[in-house]
Amino acid sequence: MGPGIITANIDNDASGITTYSVAGARFGYALLWTLIPTTIALVVIQEMIGRMGVITGKGLSDLIRENYGVKTTFFMMLCLLVANFGNTVANFAGWAASMEILGWSKYIMVPVGAVSIWLLVTKGSYRVVEIVLLYACIIFVGYIISGIMAKPDWNTIARRTLYPQMQWNSEYIMMSIAIIGTTITPWMQFYLQSSIAEKGITKEEYKASRLDVIIGCSITDVISFFIIVTCATLLFPYGIRINEASEAALALKPLAGDYASFIFALCLANASLLGAIIVPLATAYYICEAMGWEAGVNKTFREAPQFMWIYTLTIALASMQVLIPGAPLVFLMVLSAVVNGVLLPFVLVFAILLINNKKLMGEYTNSRVYNSIAWGTVASVICLTIAWVIKSVF
Amino acid sequence: MPFFGEVFVSEILRKPVLDPKGEELGRVRDVIVIKGDPFPKVSALVIEKKKRTFCLPWTDLNIFNKRIISSKIYGDKLQPNEFGEKDLLIVRDIFDKQIVDANGAKVVRVNDVKLEGFQTEAILIAVDVGMRGIMRRLGVERGGEDMMRLFKKHLPYNLISWNYMQPLEPKLTKISLTVPRQMVSELHPADIADIISQVSHKEGASFFKDLDVETAAEALSELQPDVQTAIIAGMDLQKAADIIEEMPPDEAADVLSDLPMDKAKEILEHIEKEDAEDIQELLSHEEDTAGGLMTNEFIAYPPETSVREAIEKFRKDADEVETVYYIYILDTEEKLIGVVSLRELLLAEHDTLLSDIMHTKLKVVTPETDEVEVADIISKYNLVALPVADAEGFLLGIVSVDDVLDRILPPAAKRRRRKV
Repeated sequence: MGPGIITANIDNDASGITTYSVAGARFGYALLWTLIPTTIALVVIQEMIGRMGVITGKGLSDLIRENYGVKTTFFMMLCLLVANFGNTVANFAGWAASMEILGWSKYIMVPVGAVSIWLLVTKGSYRVVEIVLLYACIIFVGYIISGIMAKPDWNTIARRTLYPQMQWNSEYIMMSIAIIGTTITPWMQFYLQSSIAEKGITKEEYKASRLDVIIGCSITDVISFFIIVTCATLLFPYGIRINEASEAALALKPLAGDYASFIFALCLANASLLGAIIVPLATAYYICEAMGWEAGVNKTFREAPQFMWIYTLTIALASMQVLIPGAPLVFLMVLSAVVNGVLLPFVLVFAILLINNKKLMGEYTNSRVYNSIAWGTVASVICLTIAWVIKSVF
Repeated sequence: MPFFGEVFVSEILRKPVLDPKGEELGRVRDVIVIKGDPFPKVSALVIEKKKRTFCLPWTDLNIFNKRIISSKIYGDKLQPNEFGEKDLLIVRDIFDKQIVDANGAKVVRVNDVKLEGFQTEAILIAVDVGMRGIMRRLGVERGGEDMMRLFKKHLPYNLISWNYMQPLEPKLTKISLTVPRQMVSELHPADIADIISQVSHKEGASFFKDLDVETAAEALSELQPDVQTAIIAGMDLQKAADIIEEMPPDEAADVLSDLPMDKAKEILEHIEKEDAEDIQELLSHEEDTAGGLMTNEFIAYPPETSVREAIEKFRKDADEVETVYYIYILDTEEKLIGVVSLRELLLAEHDTLLSDIMHTKLKVVTPETDEVEVADIISKYNLVALPVADAEGFLLGIVSVDDVLDRILPPAAKRRRRKV
């Protein structure tokens, strides 16, 4: 599997599933239109990032450090840490929620999950587990089947998808930010560029990897589309707002009948585990590499203190957050998507500046179209964020 | 202008530069350095005023320390800045870049640069690669120090002297010293491979170019296949062929088997015929079998050879062969009939024949034997090398224990750098 497809699968993590489900359940088809611009933006941005990885042969955090200095890098890494802490909280929340659907208390399963993941990553070989979980992502096809079986009104869907209509209330705006944030996450850009740079993909092989990136983006957004559609068709008419994760399971009823909850829990648990393994690890690596600290999973706390501490604390604090009695799991998962959305412009601005840098990219800088789409995304998210703050306060 | 003491570049950045009357000429933006003896020295400061940059030569400076920087000339005499890509600027070209610590054999990032006064020059004496450097750049060095004092601890300095530092950027090699370059080439090839595996492919390739053929050959075999391919692809054909020729045939076969077919063929054509034949013979086997692991370089003598003769011959042959601990005995049809260890050879009486001291109950495998089984046998019988023979008993090659170990427990440089 190419880095593009892997990244796409990880995109549908706990935060992703929940955000799309909530979007469908609370707003019906009204948010569907946001998927098209978001997908276009995603393809453009991922392609940009992939191109940067191929041409420069370096990761995004390395480039930021080498071109913008320590202060900027420090600030960027701080953003990344916050966003990814949010992601890890969301993933543990998803894990907890799925366990609760299956009838197991979160107070047992979350610590078990956290400790197992930590041990697996630092002491064991988690690559095998990672590959299993990635393949298990095929479960998402269930949403597509369920969506078709629910026999929604395809005309309405087509209209709502193709014609944008904004609702100017704070929850709608927040969900738009969340959709953008969970589809185009900041850390994914770092991950994609590093994976491509490391593979040593040359300019000649680039066409193939570009295809891989585009396919990945398309798959992920087809799935997002169907998650929204199923929830909109099956939950919205009955006013089910998904305050609890178990309500989201009902979206799979046409496909799975009484097994809907079970299958949904599996889906969510799979996505959460994958995210919980990869995201904190990747974050620790990028931060340490940018700051010039030793990094490596099989290093001890003495050999690579910053790396091990960042990784361990991210997992520990995130799981503790989820263990707080009455922690609103669904809210946390959506919140993390919003945080990602809000922080996205910061990462994008640097990515755009770097990719237009002729010294780095030679003749492979962005075309006008790409630049306008990329800058457009930055501008939209910033505007949405400001609009949301205004609407929430007033 | 005498410059006493030392200063970190980050401490003088954005500091105002004053003219003799005390008016501000501008703020320090960067520092231009040129090759010097023994260390690179500062040739000019780059000053910025109102969005325009100027160049202030070192000789025009009056006072230079971390509090005051003043010049001897006035604003109207300032030259506009004309530095281009070729010049070496500390902030633009050295700050935040990766370098090789030749002493510690690792790759680190430059956080700050230390200048020291030497006679009338300011020389670039060390780079700061530690936490303290980062804190200084962020302006919190003092605060950090005070905080550490609360815990009764010290914030350590982590400086690498310029003469132990080997830069990776091709531009910087102009001012790098020969000492670190020598030190780097004296590093163990496995350490060199480690360094190369930690940096981007381009930088790794440029680092590799500076190595001599023998070191390059050894380092190449320790690298991961895609890095090997990237490096060979970037080299000119003859040089690549020279390096691969220098490698023991089994390593050479490994490298070539990972390259695209046409490239491998081209390189083989440039390798000396005999060596090329050896390599090609090995290429015909599957990677994870005894045939894929073995090398066809070994020492073998006829059974009638006396110990004295064998030792003489050994003296000449052992130079070229990698694994010399066993001497294999081949009969007149070149079939494997026995083995003598080097130790037994040296301890035996000079007049005995090899046939008298050889072991005939040999452990042998066929080329198709799986690598795990090969490892089992080597481990069980505590062998240093295991001979590989075909069905008729012809000795085709030997599998040495370090090659088997590499497959079962690959060293870090051969594994993917990150497992995310």
